[in-house]
Amino acid sequence: MFLRSLPSSSAFRSAARRISAVRMAAISTASEEKGASSAEKEQRHQLPSNPPPLQVAKRLEKFKTTIFTQMSMLAIKHGAINLGQGFPNFDGPEFVKEAAIQAIKEGKNQYARGYGVPELNSAIAARFKKDTGLEVDPEKEVTVTSGCTEAIAATMLGLINPGDEVIIFAPFYDSYEATLSMAGAKIKSITLRPPDFGVPVDELKSAITKNTRAIMINTPHNPTGKMFSREELELIASLCIENDVLVFTDEVYDKLAFEAEHISMGSLPGMYERTVTMNSIGKTFSLTGWKIGWAIAPPHLTWGFRQAHSFLTFATSTPMQWAASVALKAPDTYFEELKKDYSVKKEILVEGLKAAGFIVYPSSGTYFVVVDHTPFGYENDVAFCEYLIREVGVVAIPTSVFYLDPEEGKNLVRFTFCKDEDTLRAAVKRMKERLHKR
Amino acid sequence: MELKLSKASRSLTPSPIQELSHLAQRCGAINLAEGFPDFSAPPHIKSAAVAAINADLNQYRHVQGICDQLAVMMKQNHGLDVNALTDFVICCGQSEAFAATILATIDQGDEVLLFDPAYETYASCIILAGGIPVNVPLEPPHWTLNVDKFMKSFTSRTKAVVLNSPHNPTGKVFSKEELEAIAAACCQMDCLAITDEVYEYITFDLQKHISLASLPKMQERTIITSSLSKTFSVTGWRIGWACAPSTIASAIRNIHIHVTDSAPSPFQEAALAALQSPPGYFKSLKAEYEARRDFVIQMLSDVGFQISFKPQGSVFVFAELPKNWLVSDIEFVKILIEKAGVAAVPGRGFFHGDIDDQNLRTRYVRFAFCKGSDTLNAAAQKLRDIVGSTGHLQL
Repeated sequence: MFLRSLPSSSAFRSAARRISAVRMAAISTASEEKGASSAEKEQRHQLPSNPPPLQVAKRLEKFKTTIFTQMSMLAIKHGAINLGQGFPNFDGPEFVKEAAIQAIKEGKNQYARGYGVPELNSAIAARFKKDTGLEVDPEKEVTVTSGCTEAIAATMLGLINPGDEVIIFAPFYDSYEATLSMAGAKIKSITLRPPDFGVPVDELKSAITKNTRAIMINTPHNPTGKMFSREELELIASLCIENDVLVFTDEVYDKLAFEAEHISMGSLPGMYERTVTMNSIGKTFSLTGWKIGWAIAPPHLTWGFRQAHSFLTFATSTPMQWAASVALKAPDTYFEELKKDYSVKKEILVEGLKAAGFIVYPSSGTYFVVVDHTPFGYENDVAFCEYLIREVGVVAIPTSVFYLDPEEGKNLVRFTFCKDEDTLRAAVKRMKERLHKR
Repeated sequence: MELKLSKASRSLTPSPIQELSHLAQRCGAINLAEGFPDFSAPPHIKSAAVAAINADLNQYRHVQGICDQLAVMMKQNHGLDVNALTDFVICCGQSEAFAATILATIDQGDEVLLFDPAYETYASCIILAGGIPVNVPLEPPHWTLNVDKFMKSFTSRTKAVVLNSPHNPTGKVFSKEELEAIAAACCQMDCLAITDEVYEYITFDLQKHISLASLPKMQERTIITSSLSKTFSVTGWRIGWACAPSTIASAIRNIHIHVTDSAPSPFQEAALAALQSPPGYFKSLKAEYEARRDFVIQMLSDVGFQISFKPQGSVFVFAELPKNWLVSDIEFVKILIEKAGVAAVPGRGFFHGDIDDQNLRTRYVRFAFCKGSDTLNAAAQKLRDIVGSTGHLQL
């Protein structure tokens, strides 16, 4: 490996953060506590009776238990049908799996170039051109990462200085807030509200100022299924150009756009130079565990991104990159079939949720639907989800964890339809039969 | 738009070492620079990965079996009792395990001690987290730890010590005495220890790799990081882990979940097969690498190098340029690429702190021997082709 020179340590401004004593127990995830009793664990650990004071970074003080893990554990315990966690229970296409197997057998098992296998960078650029008409340089403007999750982390850690103001739309995928906290950013949240989760124009106009460093946009949107319209994107764009603001987009569900056309912010006039466009193969090809994602950005933004990426993971899984380059060249028919299959699944779920008594909000994209659970009389989303698992045998995700203020999300829960039809039908049946108003 | 760059990225400049890398590529040089193998990964491990893909194990996963097996190995190899359910975080390579550990433990202004020369990424990670890397020079020619200097490097802001053993680039394996000194300091100063043990199974001459965590009172303050990459010749699979007391592991896990969330699933499955390899596998690994080490040392000695420090572990030789070769490390590597068609790494990029003799930082070259016999033989031949009448390289 060849080396680069290092930045000087004076390069970072200090963040002004205070910490109250944080005991680790407050932030450990629920999943680790299964199995061993605490007494057994103490014994195995041979911890001293007075362990040293906890030495954990301040950046973790806002971390909550990940709700996905909690709900999954409860689901397993009760044999519930899991429509909570957003990954398929069916597998990816054979031609992509075969490509990975070929790569392994051909010995493509050593470090790939840090910013991506050239064939994949090219395939990503070609796909982006097909989808948006934009021509980008695969060598200077495309970077491959371990999933879109890492792209988000590298964007925040590579481009955001401590104290920078960043706007996110609630409800938001939890890693946006987590990585912004890690970067020491000041987070401003704008809430999208039912029934259509439209962007509140006045609130947006007063939120974006000369002090704003960046705005994060997830479209199609997890958890609501909202797709940002051209009008909304144009408004955001004009405010960003006026105030010199960066845009970070998470477009992992772009191929699951049912009711509207997916629009990439980077393709709007004046926007490419200030946009980091992120995506991955996980959702499009039902291979969420392969962790192949990427960011497309102009060279002056790619530079900072690549620095962070090189420290976070250094390089991305080589055989999967080769397979991804094959996947991205899939014919149009693949994507048409994908949409058709998911549309059928969506129909089953939405019809079932309506019949079961939920208020169902229309979802234009992704494989998620959010519903209002209040007709059933539970005080909040977490209580409702616990009831749903225990008494009905179905898992949904309480959406309050996707807001800075959990109160804002307490009426909503999220269901996914990235499951085979039998599973969806079984879940719908359980809900129709067992869901009761309190 | 320039103002949109973070301060850190604006301070970085392209390095002369990258230019050498491009030169090597252009000349089609035999690559003894990169620290990854040019021979195949073991067949049984590749088969396991292929089987996993075919068995539809392709969604987000945490393979608990890896942790169970690692716990067994911790006990067998180091006498450590760890909790397989709580003490491990499976990450995308040791790279991510280390980054997540640093982000989980290092705050703005925290100092972290590093032994110099060092793999460059440690300092970069620490800086990314807002920490301050403090370099403790190991003393040439044998890269010994000067305990006095080490102790004097601690301040009230010291949070952790990073220990890479077996060591990149020198090939040093820290001795029991040195580990005891490091352990004593960590305990006395109430610091964490973060280890990089990726070369743990590649030690020579009956040297045993000792994990710092196995020393008295160290387990409770040590985070071990390692990976499959070097042990199983699969540097491109990105399967690594952190092992720490459950409360610290939990913090690392929380970071990891938001950095990548999951290591590649089919390779997690294959990791199980890898870690369950019979003792014979690890024995052969050692023996083969030892033979390669001996070959490369001979190869270098034959052309005039005086190797005063034989690597005790890792896949590298950190060779000092003989005093009568009046070229710098960069000049030497350039000549080697252009004249002999063999690439190596100039040592200066590994030195960060002050070393007693400033000139020494430009006197070392790192050669990797994680290469097949064809490659090594070809390299040796190419070097022999350019020696002069003295039998040594003319520089």
